[in-house]
Amino acid sequence: MTIGDRVPRGDGPEKVTGQAKYTADITMTGMLHARFLYAERPRARIIGIDTAAAKALPGVFAVITQDDMLDVRYGFFVKDRTVFATDEVRFEAEVVAAVAALTPEIAAEAVRLIEVDYEDLEPILDVEDALRDDVDLVHAGFASYEQMAGVDRDRNDCAHMTSVKGDVDAGFAEADVVVSARYRSDMSHAAPIEPHAVIAEWQGERVTIWSTSQVPFPARSQVARTLGIPESNVRIIVPHLGGGFGGKCDVHFETHIAALAKVTRRPVKLVFTRREEFLATDKPRHAAIIDLETGVRNDGTITARRAKIILDGGAYSGDSHFASEISIMMLQGPYRIPNLSAEVHTVYTNRTPSGSVRAPGAPQTVWAVEQHTEEIAAQLGMDPIDFRRKNLVEDGDTGQTGQRFDNPNAAACLERALEMAGYGQELPEGEAFGVSCGWWFSLPVASGAYVKLNADGSGTIVTGAQENGSGSVMGMPALAAEELGMAPEQFSIVYQDTSAGPFDLGSAGSQTTMNNGRAVIDAARQVRDELLQLAAHTLEAAVDDLELVDGAVRVRGAPTVAVTIGELAAQAHGGELLLGKGSGQPLPMPEHDASECVGRLFYPAFAHPSFFCHVGRIRVDQDTGVVQVLDWSAAFDFGTILNPIGAEGQVEGGTVQGIGFGLLEGSIYKDGHQQNASLLEYKLQTAIDAPPIKIAFVGGPAPAGPHGARAIGEPPVVGPPAALANGIAAATGARVRHLPMTPERVWESMQATGVN
Amino acid sequence: MAARQYFAPNSVDEALQVIGRHGRIGVVAGGTDAVVGHRSGKSPLADAIVGIHRLQDLNGIKVANDGGLCIGALTSYASLLSSNEVLERYTALADASAIVGSCATRNVGTLGGNIVNASPAMDTGAPLLVFDAVTELRSQARTRQLPIAELWTGPGQSVVADDELLVSVTLPSLPPQSGSAYLRLEYRRAMEIAVVGVAVQITLGADGVVAAASIALAAVGPTCFLVDAAGNAIVGRSLDESSTAEAAAAAADAARPISDNRASENYRRQMVSVVTGRAIQVAAARAAGRTVNIPASQRWREATQ
Amino acid sequence: MINPLSLSVNGVPYTAAIEPHRTLLSVLREEFGITGPKEGCDDSECGACMVLIDGEPTNACCYLALQAEDREITTIEGISDSPVGSRIQARMLEDGGIQCGFCTPGIVVMATALLSSNPNPNEEEIRNALAGNLCRCTGYQKIVAAVSKAAGDLE
Repeated sequence: MTIGDRVPRGDGPEKVTGQAKYTADITMTGMLHARFLYAERPRARIIGIDTAAAKALPGVFAVITQDDMLDVRYGFFVKDRTVFATDEVRFEAEVVAAVAALTPEIAAEAVRLIEVDYEDLEPILDVEDALRDDVDLVHAGFASYEQMAGVDRDRNDCAHMTSVKGDVDAGFAEADVVVSARYRSDMSHAAPIEPHAVIAEWQGERVTIWSTSQVPFPARSQVARTLGIPESNVRIIVPHLGGGFGGKCDVHFETHIAALAKVTRRPVKLVFTRREEFLATDKPRHAAIIDLETGVRNDGTITARRAKIILDGGAYSGDSHFASEISIMMLQGPYRIPNLSAEVHTVYTNRTPSGSVRAPGAPQTVWAVEQHTEEIAAQLGMDPIDFRRKNLVEDGDTGQTGQRFDNPNAAACLERALEMAGYGQELPEGEAFGVSCGWWFSLPVASGAYVKLNADGSGTIVTGAQENGSGSVMGMPALAAEELGMAPEQFSIVYQDTSAGPFDLGSAGSQTTMNNGRAVIDAARQVRDELLQLAAHTLEAAVDDLELVDGAVRVRGAPTVAVTIGELAAQAHGGELLLGKGSGQPLPMPEHDASECVGRLFYPAFAHPSFFCHVGRIRVDQDTGVVQVLDWSAAFDFGTILNPIGAEGQVEGGTVQGIGFGLLEGSIYKDGHQQNASLLEYKLQTAIDAPPIKIAFVGGPAPAGPHGARAIGEPPVVGPPAALANGIAAATGARVRHLPMTPERVWESMQATGVN
Repeated sequence: MAARQYFAPNSVDEALQVIGRHGRIGVVAGGTDAVVGHRSGKSPLADAIVGIHRLQDLNGIKVANDGGLCIGALTSYASLLSSNEVLERYTALADASAIVGSCATRNVGTLGGNIVNASPAMDTGAPLLVFDAVTELRSQARTRQLPIAELWTGPGQSVVADDELLVSVTLPSLPPQSGSAYLRLEYRRAMEIAVVGVAVQITLGADGVVAAASIALAAVGPTCFLVDAAGNAIVGRSLDESSTAEAAAAAADAARPISDNRASENYRRQMVSVVTGRAIQVAAARAAGRTVNIPASQRWREATQ
Repeated sequence: MINPLSLSVNGVPYTAAIEPHRTLLSVLREEFGITGPKEGCDDSECGACMVLIDGEPTNACCYLALQAEDREITTIEGISDSPVGSRIQARMLEDGGIQCGFCTPGIVVMATALLSSNPNPNEEEIRNALAGNLCRCTGYQKIVAAVSKAAGDLE
């Protein structure tokens, strides 16, 4: 049994020796280098572009703009975007032109020679203003854009959704106390250590693109669409990926580079600087304004909640709608709330387009909701843990669209995390515990895989899944091995290549193990059936009397009557090959009723929800507002843990990332320009900042998922900002309502509360 | 933006000749400021790069006859941290050296580079000021000594002449019962630039009264600078809440902070007061012979334990 | 103007003719094809480019290549030649210290330098030493544990 073992990852050796090739490490003969011309202004009309001088520079092979592209708009939910800017630039790093030249320096020089005549326009930067009817439109032509069915949008609001349950007015009428507050969070970034890179090369009418993409198949679709060629003519390969966290989802610069490669008939390579990674990657986490209002009875029962979220979507809609829907689903969270009325608006502004970063919309919303939870408790004079105990969902309770909770482990996670943290012990001055609870979901999506056995009995898994570092794809051998009585090391994997493997959504939505894992298991089972058939013939036994153990098929009860997989595989190569295919059927959504909701798309309910609780122990320097995280405890219900190394790794990494979002990570904007677009000024957590983390996995196998596993990639990042906020409030008596909770903001909150 | 010429002189005289011809703007020691500045486009490397890494005469720490310290300009932060003299007697400089950049930066970055780069937020500036450091500047024509307080004139600006090379920094000896500290306000625990930096040097006399005190600030003005009023506020007094608070207030008063990505002017000014108070406590504790570990920015609480 | 450069990388002598502004990282990657050290940032903040120069950890992205003349450079590709380095690599593999792997070369180089000069570091010393190597995937816990265990193994 390999499930549950601590299995070292299969791609570890090449990574630890420096052999692993990432996209920027690849060089090809005759390769040219690309650089982009950016708008460098948040909003302007393009009057004219003159590329003559740039094209004339020796060493420049091509300079292209939207004039060289098909007149096609793209976008996952709303097709509001063209490959290059057309008549207008809508954020400071919108790509206006691209150059391919012999060296990056020549390309950069050519970019400087491109002349663009702009008419600067007043940028739209305030999300609340942008929702007004009398304000300029970021997209004047919004009404003409094609969109996915079900999207509700108007003017500068590109994703309007509601979540309605029960009768919220009646609920408030029953309340003894009503608490309301506004919370605000800044834009933040995925900031993987590897910046974006793309290489494209044509052979005839077919293009191969090596890209730092988390989603090669969706990206391929967009490339095919924007280049006007069939998907079969586009191959996207992801070399080793240096992290993504959502920042490398959606389509980015594959089309631009493919277009340069086509026109130059040479391979073309683009590598982003870190500054470009901040400005031009157009995939940061949404800034948000969150308004909450909750009614409670004196005994602590929640009777009603109203909420409004405004997300700053930036210049293009991208895949923002995921964030919109998830944020709205965080509003009831893991609590029992009978009446709820919530709405989210996703607003176009002239800032970097935001998109689905790890747990889109969730850390910010939960940071607001969980502070709100404790404020309510404080108003009632109730201990915040008791308040949670009273209101966390139990078996039979319903979610905000009526889904029924089946033995949810919300309370179990709370108790376990409190216990691990030593909650309740007396702490030195300035130190406090901070708690947050939350929930997450599994994303059911179609996914496919093949499993084949080679002539010597070793195996290969062929999958379209994408390995961003989490280890989810590296976990596939264990799943196949489990079905076939083999060892994980006996399997190689071909992955993240759209020509080799079947469709998989990519490393998004924590879906890889859930969906592709089941596809791999299906495929392996097919191979198992084939092996047993073959063995039955060879051993002259009935299939039902056979078992697959330790690399051989043997008769149950008579283990010496056996034939090895290797022998069977050799045999099969003379006849019918041992080859299995699997396609994990998307799991059904739980029963729910979203009929009164507007604009709902993918998550009207949460499939296979997981619950979690974080308890952080922090110290706040009362005179400076600096927060130090001393230690951390987190309990998760992830169902069956397939590989503890992987699961712990996601919790540890996600927790530290969440701490970063909570304390220091936020974009500073001035007049539509990011001011802190460097790792010097946008501060990530270092090894000495990160706390030791204790983890507990609670609960048994989930009803679905491979071997009963739930999604784990995103949930760990959701809870930490909220836990930190509650810790800061406990330590200082002041609530910080602006994320990130920088020392200055903590200090200001203390000043405002008159604490020191 | 490519530099075109490269020189790697083998002796100080050779270096001075090259600098005499091409100017000092291309001098690169460890490169931790120069190359970063070039890559960001903020300060492209000069046309003529003069790598001074071979001038091992400029690398090293010597105890002077009077007990002071002579530190070669090419001495790295890591070397400063391995010097018992620096650790024990000029502790503020160790406090600063321990927190510049990362481990890797500290191997390669040099004291001389930090000084000539003249960043208003440099960490070694305030310690050098409170120690009354004297720099030695050499050109082909002359050698001169210049007190560090006269060196910096603005952000990135100094009076080092175009044909001069900083060769060493001398720290005068300190009387017994002296202690010093450098604290900076930082948001995370490594890889930081000072939001506010304060160095304090205290000499205690009989009865624990302050016989001499010097306080300097970093990151709250166009250069690092001494605040005489702050030092004077505690001279002749014993250190208690009230005298410390006066010194802290004087420091805050003298600060000329700006608002930028890291902090607002108001917050910086308030924090000058807080950090000065803590730096005084640490310096005093060390002057009294108690141990407060390096770096003081993180260990200052040990002063009152 | 092009200058000659001779240095040794992982025990192998290399020569090149390069312009003065070139960084050691760009020469390693582009002239010599040594792609283990990575470029992750613009300002010496992430440590992904870390190499050893005569045994001392240095961010190659901000070190002029010409200043490395006659020096011995060790990159991740040469780390397994040392007992300390290969032990750290083994522990990183076993103990889950690697996820996306992009920070791994710099981390292993830094950890090797640490254990070579401080064979028995406590957790705080390990974390401080690695503070200049940013990791976005692991939260550092398993990396620190791997380095600590490697130190124990080497005793």
